[in-house]
Amino acid sequence: MHRRSWLRPFVSLFLTAIFFLPLYVAVVNVFKSSEEVVRAPLALPLRPTLDNVIGVLTRPDGLFWHGLGNSVLLTGSSIVITTVLAAMTAHYLVRSEALWGRILIMIMLTGLMIPPAVIMVPLTRVLRAIGLMSTLPGAILVNVGYYLPFAVLVFMGFVRSIPKELEEAAALDGASKFTTFWQIVFPLMRPASASVLIFLGVWIWNDFLTPLLILGPGTGNTITVGIYRSIGTYQRDFGSVFALMFLATLPVLTFYLLFQKHFIRGLTGGATKG
Amino acid sequence: MKRILSGLAVALSTMLMTSTAFADVTLKFLTFETPNLTAAYWDKVIAQTSAKVPGVTIEKLVSPTTDRDSYARQLDSTGQLPDIMIAVSPNGLAETGKLAEFTKEELSDWVNPTSNSFDGKIFQLATNTQTVPTIYYRKADFEKAGVTAPPKTWEELLAAADKLKAAGITPFNIGGGGADTWANLYSLKALVGSEVYAKDQQWLAKLTRGETTFKDPLFVKAVTKFKEVVDKGYVDPVLLSNDYPATQASFLGGKGAMYPMGSWFAVAPNAEQQAEYGVFPWPTDDGSLVVAAYTGGGLSVSSSAPDVALAKKWAIEFSKQNADGGARFDALFVSLKGYRPPADLPPLYGATLEIYSSAQQHGTVTTAFGEEGGTPALPSGFTKEVAAAVADLINGRVDVNGFVDYLDEKYTELTK
Amino acid sequence: MSQNVSNRRRILRAWHDAGNFAIFVVPGVTVFAAVVFAPILWTMWIGLTNERATRPQTLFVGLDNYLTLLGSSTFHAVLVNTVIITLIVVVGTNILGVSIALLLRLETRLYSALRSVFFVPVILSAVVVSVIWRSLLVDDGLLNTTLRSFGIQNPPGWLSDPSIALYSVSGIIVWQMLGFAVVVYLAGLAGIPKEIDEAAEIDGAVGWQRFRYITWPLLAPSFTINTVMLMISAFKVYDQIAVLTNGGPGTGATTTIAFKVVETAFVEQRAGYASAMAGLMLIIIAIASTLVLRALQRREVTY
Repeated sequence: MHRRSWLRPFVSLFLTAIFFLPLYVAVVNVFKSSEEVVRAPLALPLRPTLDNVIGVLTRPDGLFWHGLGNSVLLTGSSIVITTVLAAMTAHYLVRSEALWGRILIMIMLTGLMIPPAVIMVPLTRVLRAIGLMSTLPGAILVNVGYYLPFAVLVFMGFVRSIPKELEEAAALDGASKFTTFWQIVFPLMRPASASVLIFLGVWIWNDFLTPLLILGPGTGNTITVGIYRSIGTYQRDFGSVFALMFLATLPVLTFYLLFQKHFIRGLTGGATKG
Repeated sequence: MKRILSGLAVALSTMLMTSTAFADVTLKFLTFETPNLTAAYWDKVIAQTSAKVPGVTIEKLVSPTTDRDSYARQLDSTGQLPDIMIAVSPNGLAETGKLAEFTKEELSDWVNPTSNSFDGKIFQLATNTQTVPTIYYRKADFEKAGVTAPPKTWEELLAAADKLKAAGITPFNIGGGGADTWANLYSLKALVGSEVYAKDQQWLAKLTRGETTFKDPLFVKAVTKFKEVVDKGYVDPVLLSNDYPATQASFLGGKGAMYPMGSWFAVAPNAEQQAEYGVFPWPTDDGSLVVAAYTGGGLSVSSSAPDVALAKKWAIEFSKQNADGGARFDALFVSLKGYRPPADLPPLYGATLEIYSSAQQHGTVTTAFGEEGGTPALPSGFTKEVAAAVADLINGRVDVNGFVDYLDEKYTELTK
Repeated sequence: MSQNVSNRRRILRAWHDAGNFAIFVVPGVTVFAAVVFAPILWTMWIGLTNERATRPQTLFVGLDNYLTLLGSSTFHAVLVNTVIITLIVVVGTNILGVSIALLLRLETRLYSALRSVFFVPVILSAVVVSVIWRSLLVDDGLLNTTLRSFGIQNPPGWLSDPSIALYSVSGIIVWQMLGFAVVVYLAGLAGIPKEIDEAAEIDGAVGWQRFRYITWPLLAPSFTINTVMLMISAFKVYDQIAVLTNGGPGTGATTTIAFKVVETAFVEQRAGYASAMAGLMLIIIAIASTLVLRALQRREVTY
């Protein structure tokens, strides 16, 4: 075995390098001038420039900043509301053990597999009927409803692992179900909450079809839709397209690098329980 | 947690408030951006127009791709049809009463007020004419291949293409990848113009009445000619993956000798490049001049705009404010009465306009296939299918028969 | 008297519970019902009508749309495309995922760094991934420029050749999902007790045999998770198509069901026909996921 000990790291490095190549291209070209992008797309930025980044940040139509603002508001509100509602729903359903509760769970689980494309036509009509079409609150509502089943599922798995006795003791002390939940149960579910927040955060930040159709153009759109818009017009100017994508991904990427362990555990853990 | 939630609620409600706080009427205006028509350009014209039409606040919407026809329909499907739109085909929207009608008085400044009429009713300002297409060519490539003069007849075109190919130059640059499939349509537009519409002006009316199909010998001949160009290897299928901006860039970057494109290309080469390119009309069998052109392309107004009269007023003023810019940045042949384009427009603009004017004098301007405004017209969504089928034709996935069969099938499906 | 008290208590408890139900369950379930459940039923209903933006009057047409769909060669092609993408993504990502996981499972700094690299595309949006790949794969993109510099005269049109584009798109999805599968397999590998590995070593099981008969069966739960997740995400793929090919090149070479549904509904504005398509999609998903879950769970049990 030992005589080939160089082989495994070599193969690993080689495969990873190939895998990484597209990302490398996307990142290095952010810091090159347009001519250099065309002339030597693979080279390191020998004379690094921030022109592309500055160009995106100072675009006269504010595409980046508007998009960023919308994305932050949409993602932030959606994941917080979904987490709160899902945690409560899951807790109640697991503890009640009633038949209708189980039926409700079954119905919600089917919701897990529904592609957004399937419900878009009536969904836009529902939103129009309640006057929330092409508004941020409308898009938040859609995200909450659409991702709720997944979050409930993650929380349900977790609630089962919390001993009932804790809540019963609190109830004997005269605490209401609501107080018990917030003071005792919810803090215990921190890992599940982290899972849900991370998973939904990534999904909603990256979402494309739903904001494209629901948010529409009126209130401005998310940063992800902004990328789609900018490629049509500036496709040839790879430097600025890559710069926009780089900046749009930076928030998620930073979170990932800071909380890598939680991320991987959150994303796969959430799925594993699903 | 509570604090976060209430913070959010406050943030959301302020956002909602600010959008309704204007005293002016807010009108949503849908534009699109291209390398020539930039965000800054639109903003400028919008500001100029709003200065002349007080009481309007314009909220600019930008189509995410250059295919604003699809986007306007997507918005309509979700109940968000913009109040004012530029260069969006009225077909399908007009018939169902979604657009506001322009009156004769409102159209008095236009040269061809009645083009794109829906049984006499006008829903889109016929602000400009575009030839779709003429062929732009690189003079150096023609020289290198020994093509001395731009071809006039079909035979000459094939001969020129043959010489170019022999010299190692791709004769035609045809692109249309990604969301821009429409960009591959221009050769066929020219051929349908000269082979179908020029020979039978009632052809489309017959088609809509069910008296003919795409298997009509006239139409088949047009497709066969295009197929001939493809079969002889004059088109590089790989260039098809370029979207529209990339196609223009690749032609300007030296790929392909001939570029069948709408007249807006005339202003794409910069001042130094202008002299490197020439333009000629799509050749016909006998060398006679036939030019397919589209007159329309202006603004339309939603019938459910918050203030339709004001929106129309704004749209009309915008057309005037946009005239010079339209000519300069989009090479539009502005069809406002008494309009004179700026004197310093690039040479290709003049050359293209001359071809159009000459065809006008001869009375040989035809409708552009796929851009027939008003009635009769092809069903909404059909042009997209044609463009997709053209890509198949170039890729060799279908032959002429398969092509016209597909068109017939889609036509039936979309008119059902 | 005592009966009265217990009655009152029962009513009180029921009232109390109703209050809790209203606080805990009603908000979430209402939003879910409004945004997902009602629209599903509504889609099914619209699918039975001939609704279309240009048609003034909408009529109930029963199963007409469904029959048209089942007989439409365009729709067959769309179905085949979707199935091909799903198969490639499920099979390809699983095979590559388990291989990479086995390769990178060692607990050293180097391998942990390499593992993080594989996970990066998972957190990127499909739009970003598609734009990056598009810039590499277009005609004069980086890949073909490189191939040409190696003397290959006519490199493939990765996105422009209708017989290749579908595979390019599938490959890009595999690239993006790979990190996810790797991590799930790594978690599975970490869960295999050391004793089993040691016992296998003593028994002289090496290489492929050891993988085939010992490691792989123990990875069954990871395989199930990956397969289900990959299936669900591949079957509804929309974003990549919108950015990379817009359903082309040509007539529907890479059009998937989700893409076709959106295009028919929102561009062609044929709500009835599009909703029938969506209905079929739902039925297919329901059947497929039931079958797959059953099959996979049976497999897990036998081992």
